[in-house]
Amino acid sequence: MLKVITGFFIAIILVAVVALTSAQALMFNITPSPYGVEETAARIQANIQKPNMKANGWSLSGLRDPGKAVAAAGGNVMPVLLIEACSTKYSGPLLKADDTRIFSILMPCTITVFKNDDGKTYIGTMNAGLMGKLFGVSDIMDKVAADQKVFLSFDPDEAAPPLIKVQPGGGGGGGAAGGGC
Amino acid sequence: MNKGIKTLPKMLLIGACLLFAGGASAATDAASTGEDTARSKSESTADHSKFEELNKDFESGPEVTEACLECHTEAAEQVQHTKHWTWEYLNPVTQQKLGKKNVVNNFCTSVTSNQTFCSACHVGYGWSDDSFDFTSEKNVDCLACHDTTGKYKKIPGLSGHPNYDTMEWPPHSGNFREPTDLTKIAQNVGKTSRQTCGNCHFYGGGGDAVKHGDLDSSLLEPTRYLDVHMDAEGLDFTCGSCHLSDSHEVSGSRYAPTASDDNGALIRGKKDGRNPTTCVACHGNEPHPGTTVSTAKLNAHTDKVACQTCHIPEYARGPIATKMTWDWSTAGRLDEQGKRIRIKGSEGRDSYDSKKGTFTYERFVIPEYTWFNGNVKFTLFGEKVTEDKVKINEFLGGPDDPDSRIWPTKVFRGKQPYDVGNETLAVFHTAGKDDSAYWNTYDWDKALSWGMEAQGLEYSGEMKFVETEMSWPITHMVAPKEDALTCAQCHRENGRLQNISGVHMPGRDNTPMVDTIGWTLALLTLLGVLFHGALRFIMSKKD
Repeated sequence: MLKVITGFFIAIILVAVVALTSAQALMFNITPSPYGVEETAARIQANIQKPNMKANGWSLSGLRDPGKAVAAAGGNVMPVLLIEACSTKYSGPLLKADDTRIFSILMPCTITVFKNDDGKTYIGTMNAGLMGKLFGVSDIMDKVAADQKVFLSFDPDEAAPPLIKVQPGGGGGGGAAGGGC
Repeated sequence: MNKGIKTLPKMLLIGACLLFAGGASAATDAASTGEDTARSKSESTADHSKFEELNKDFESGPEVTEACLECHTEAAEQVQHTKHWTWEYLNPVTQQKLGKKNVVNNFCTSVTSNQTFCSACHVGYGWSDDSFDFTSEKNVDCLACHDTTGKYKKIPGLSGHPNYDTMEWPPHSGNFREPTDLTKIAQNVGKTSRQTCGNCHFYGGGGDAVKHGDLDSSLLEPTRYLDVHMDAEGLDFTCGSCHLSDSHEVSGSRYAPTASDDNGALIRGKKDGRNPTTCVACHGNEPHPGTTVSTAKLNAHTDKVACQTCHIPEYARGPIATKMTWDWSTAGRLDEQGKRIRIKGSEGRDSYDSKKGTFTYERFVIPEYTWFNGNVKFTLFGEKVTEDKVKINEFLGGPDDPDSRIWPTKVFRGKQPYDVGNETLAVFHTAGKDDSAYWNTYDWDKALSWGMEAQGLEYSGEMKFVETEMSWPITHMVAPKEDALTCAQCHRENGRLQNISGVHMPGRDNTPMVDTIGWTLALLTLLGVLFHGALRFIMSKKD
C-alpha cells in the first residue's frame, strides 16, 4: 500500500515538473518570421483584413509598441509590436453567457512580433486550441486557432503593406460595424 | 565621467575652432532659435556680426571664404591638408590610395563622374569634375562646418554650393528654398556641432541612417540609452568632444581606425600621435572600476574584445531604421506612364525607387562580429574580381594578432553593376542633367560608358549585377553600462560570438578532456552513493 501511495505522489510530482517546464511551450506558439518586425506586423495586419477573415468578424483593434514606454522611462529594449485583433463572431457568444464572460480577459486577441538576440524576428501567439480545451470552449477557440494560422500565412510575392497604426481600442476601422471588441 | 573629462575636450575644441572661426559666436543649440539667442549663450570672446569684413552682401560662398581668410589667414591652407578636402587617404600599411574620391561602395557606388552631386558633402565650392582647383583657398567652404544658424544647406547638384537663388527642393516637391542668407550665416559662425557634422555624416549614402547604422539624425538630441556620451540631458558630448581636431585635421578615420590601444588614457592636448577618439583615450585600459573578481574579469577581456562589442549591443537603436541592403539590379522599372515608381516599405521608408532599386531597413540591428586590427583592405575600381560575391572591403586581423580585437560591424549587402569584359566592379554616372546620367534616362549602357571613362577605364559593353558586401565598424551609439551585453549573450551556444574563431569561450566551446573528466567524476560519485546505500541496506538486514 505504501508503495502505491509513494508511486502516486512521485507521479504527481513528475507531472507537475513536466507541466512547469513545458508550460510556455504549451501555452504559447512561437514561430520565426522571414521579415523584419515592422513588415511582419504589417503582413499580419493585412491578413487579418482580408475578406475571408473579415467574414469571420475579424478586425484590428490596436497596435501597441510596449518598448516606447520603456524607452521613455530611460530603458532600452529590442523592438516588440503587439497586434490586437478581435472577432465579434467569436467574442459574442463568450460575452453573452455568465460562465464564459470571464474569457473577456483574453480579448482582444494579441499577436506579438518581436526581435531576439539572434537578430531574427519571431511571432508569438496564444495557443488558442489548448485554451479552448482547458476551459471547455473548444468549439469557439478551435476556430480562433484556425484563423490564427491564416493570419500568419505570408505570401512573399505580395509587396510589403504599410503598417496600420491603429489606436488601441479603436476597432481598427471595423469597430461596431465590421467587428472588433 | 567626471566633470574634468567632460569640460576639457570642450575647451580644447573651442580653442581649435578659434584658429578657424576666430571664436564661436553661437552655442550649438542655438541653431534653430536664431542669432540673437545664439549670441546671448555664446562662450566666445568674439561677435562676428561686429566684424566689418562680414558686414556686406555676399553673392557666393567663395566671397564669404575670402572674408574669413582676412583674419584666419592659415585656415584654408590647413583645411586643404585634410581628408575633408582632399577626399584622399594613402593607407601606409596596404599602400592603397583610398578616400571618398577613390573607393567603391555599394550605396551610390562612386564619387567619380558624380562630383556635382557628391560634393554637397565636400568642404569646398565648385567641384564638378576633374578640373576643380584643389589649390584655390577661396574654394574652401568655411560655413559647412561653422554655421550655427542651421540655415546653411549645400544642395546636391550644385557642386558644393548652397542655393543663391530661390529653388525647388527636393525637386518636384513643391517646396521652395529661399536664397541662402550668406551674410547672416557668416556673422553667426561658431564651433562645429552635431548639426554641422551630422549634415553629412548622418545622411551618408543618400539619406538619414542609410550608410553607417550608428550615425543618424536621432543623435542630434539623443536620450541616454541611445548614446550615453551624447545624451542631451546628460554628458551632452558633441562630435568634437571625442573627434578632437588639430589644425583642422579631425581625428578618427574609418580608413584606418584604431582597433586597439594599450597605452592607457590620453591626456587631452598631449601630442604623441595617438588617436584621441578611442574609448581607451578617456577610459584607459582598465575601464571597469572596482576590485572585485567580476570587474577584474571584465578588464581582462580588453585584450581580446573591443569596448564597442559589449557597449554597443545593437545599432540603429533610435527611431530611424538603417538601410541594410540595396539591390541596384531592380532599378529602372517605370509605371505604365513611363514615370518613376517609389514604393514605401512597412516601416515607412522607400523599399523601391526606380532610380535606385530595392532596399531593406532594420532597427536594433545585431552587429556581425569580426577580428579587426585597424587595417582595412579595399577592392578598388579596376581591380579584377570574379562574379562571385565581392567583398568591397575586408577587415584584417585575427586571434593571434596582438593588435586585433573582436569588433562589431555593420555588413551592408547589395547588388551593383559589374563590367563582365573587364572583370571589375563598374563605375556608373548616376546623377546630372545630361542624358548619360542613369537617374535621367535609366540607360545602364550610357551611364556605365560615361562612368568608366571618367575613371580612366573603357567599358566593355557587357554588364551584369554582382553581389557585394561592405563592412563598417560600429563605434557610436554607446549604450549605458546597464544595457551592455551580458556574459550569457556571448558565452553560450549560438550566442553573439558564435562565428568568432581562434579563441576559447567557456559556455560556447567544449573541451572534450575536461568534459570527460567531469562526467567521469559525476558517474563515480553516483556509483559511490549507490554502492554506499546498497552496503548500508545489506548491513541493516544482517543486523
